[in-house]
Amino acid sequence: MKAFIHHLAYDFKTGIRDRTKLLMFYLFPLAFFFAVSSFMTQINPFFKDTMIPAMVLFAVMSACLLSLPGTLVTARESGVFRSFRINGVPAASILSIPVISAAAHMAVAAVIIGFAGTLVFKGAAPANVLGFAAAALLSYLAYAGFGLVLGTAAGNANASILLAQAVYIPSILLGGLMVPLSVLPDAFRRAALILPSSHGMILFQALGYPAAGKAFPWVSLAALGGGAVVSFFLSAWIFQWDTRASRPNRKAFAALLALVPYALAVAVGG
Amino acid sequence: MNDVLVSVRRFRKRYGRFEAVKGISFEVRRGEIFALLGPNGAGKTSTLESLEGLRKPDGGELSVAGVDPSRRPRRLKNLIGVQLQASALPQAMTVEEAMTFFCTYHGVAVRRDLIERFGLAEKRRTQYSKLSTGLQRRLNLALAAAHEPPVLFLDEPTAGLDVQSRAEMHAVTAELKKSGTTVILATHDMAEAEKLADRAAILLNGAIVALGSPRALTARGSRRTKISVLSERASLLADRSDVGEARFQSAADDYAIYTSATPGPAVTAILAFLERAGDPLVDLRVERPSLEERFLEITSSNGNEGGNS
Repeated sequence: MKAFIHHLAYDFKTGIRDRTKLLMFYLFPLAFFFAVSSFMTQINPFFKDTMIPAMVLFAVMSACLLSLPGTLVTARESGVFRSFRINGVPAASILSIPVISAAAHMAVAAVIIGFAGTLVFKGAAPANVLGFAAAALLSYLAYAGFGLVLGTAAGNANASILLAQAVYIPSILLGGLMVPLSVLPDAFRRAALILPSSHGMILFQALGYPAAGKAFPWVSLAALGGGAVVSFFLSAWIFQWDTRASRPNRKAFAALLALVPYALAVAVGG
Repeated sequence: MNDVLVSVRRFRKRYGRFEAVKGISFEVRRGEIFALLGPNGAGKTSTLESLEGLRKPDGGELSVAGVDPSRRPRRLKNLIGVQLQASALPQAMTVEEAMTFFCTYHGVAVRRDLIERFGLAEKRRTQYSKLSTGLQRRLNLALAAAHEPPVLFLDEPTAGLDVQSRAEMHAVTAELKKSGTTVILATHDMAEAEKLADRAAILLNGAIVALGSPRALTARGSRRTKISVLSERASLLADRSDVGEARFQSAADDYAIYTSATPGPAVTAILAFLERAGDPLVDLRVERPSLEERFLEITSSNGNEGGNS
């Protein structure tokens, strides 16, 4: 346990020291938040209603999709995992510690976005802060699971970037961050349920900004929770200690199973 | 000094249809430095990684400090220290953090003394990515030795290092041996093996083709000792004939160069010749065949000279 805590403390420190992590945890999402909020509040007054959850979700996606998979692939390719293995660092620590330490950084980023969004841009503050935090945590776990699956399944750094972008870009465009899901055409709205960000935005509204008479989105709750659980188990199963060109990871295709909970949500229809 | 710490019996390793290691056997005694030599693809890394518990053998028995590496890898981690050829640390990890990190995982007190001993004190707050290759290797060796394992595996520890860093690594390895650590060393560098190893095994195509002390291995070869002689009046070069047991080979930079299978009598005969000629000796060099020459002799004959000697 002492080793785990020490490892976690070290990993948390690198969130500030490592330039890539610092960029993806803080600089990029906060710069995007300030830039987008400055003009979106001018051209679209309704943006203020969803600004804070959308920007928190954007920070979560940047950390989980643009940082986490690359960190895992690079560590595996450069032989860091081999060093860890020989010295008794368990695979469970390798997979769980970056998720826990990034969660702490995301909490800091979310607080900055929450306060700045409310005070500077007059965004809608969450009516239920605990509910908002629960939605943020569940969205984080779902995307962290995606990040772990991508990081363990991708054969190399380039593949991890491509795969991460395949989730990241649609999540921003169709996931309710820039354009509310309610204004999307029916077919698009239904298709967007394949993305965790859509369910995240639905949950943020239900838990952080509850409105009387609205049904609770159990399907989104189940999709995010199920997605997180499936992804964590899948990443542990796909995980390899090192990269061998002569022996590709045959389990990598199982990564597609991470989409199953979201596919079920599409089928059920949210 | 006689107890066996590492035992390899009829060890086999396959990759698909390719048999990388074909039933090799050897033992390493406590406090020995044992070198595994061989060209690329000879089976050195497969053997080493199986002993380290990173790969499962396809046949035979392995034992490291009384533990079967493939069956009890967790028990093994505190019994071995490993400096891998292809390994690294997180780029942002400092020297001191790395020592604390690995000591904590091994459940031992943090060995800050090793940071001093391995000459890393000035770099204790430097990140791994900013260390030179030599310092990275030194740190990896310090980390491998931090929990005082009885067996240390070094895979190409000096590959890519400059002359000074190489000499420092040799000194550190010799110091570890003095403190009682058993070292298994895989290397391409024959001079390194000759300098450090008590015994060496030469692997070729997955089989051991020679095994013994570097001196015994070179003595078994067909190569002869080289004797180079420089005298004031170069009387040997004027004569250019065999002198006793010394066979004249060539002249280079005013030296007369001979070879002999019996260097003692040959040198005596050359000195007697110079005395008779009244030609004072300026320089005399006697070079026995190196392990590298013996290695090349074995590998060029494709190992057809009897294995497991």
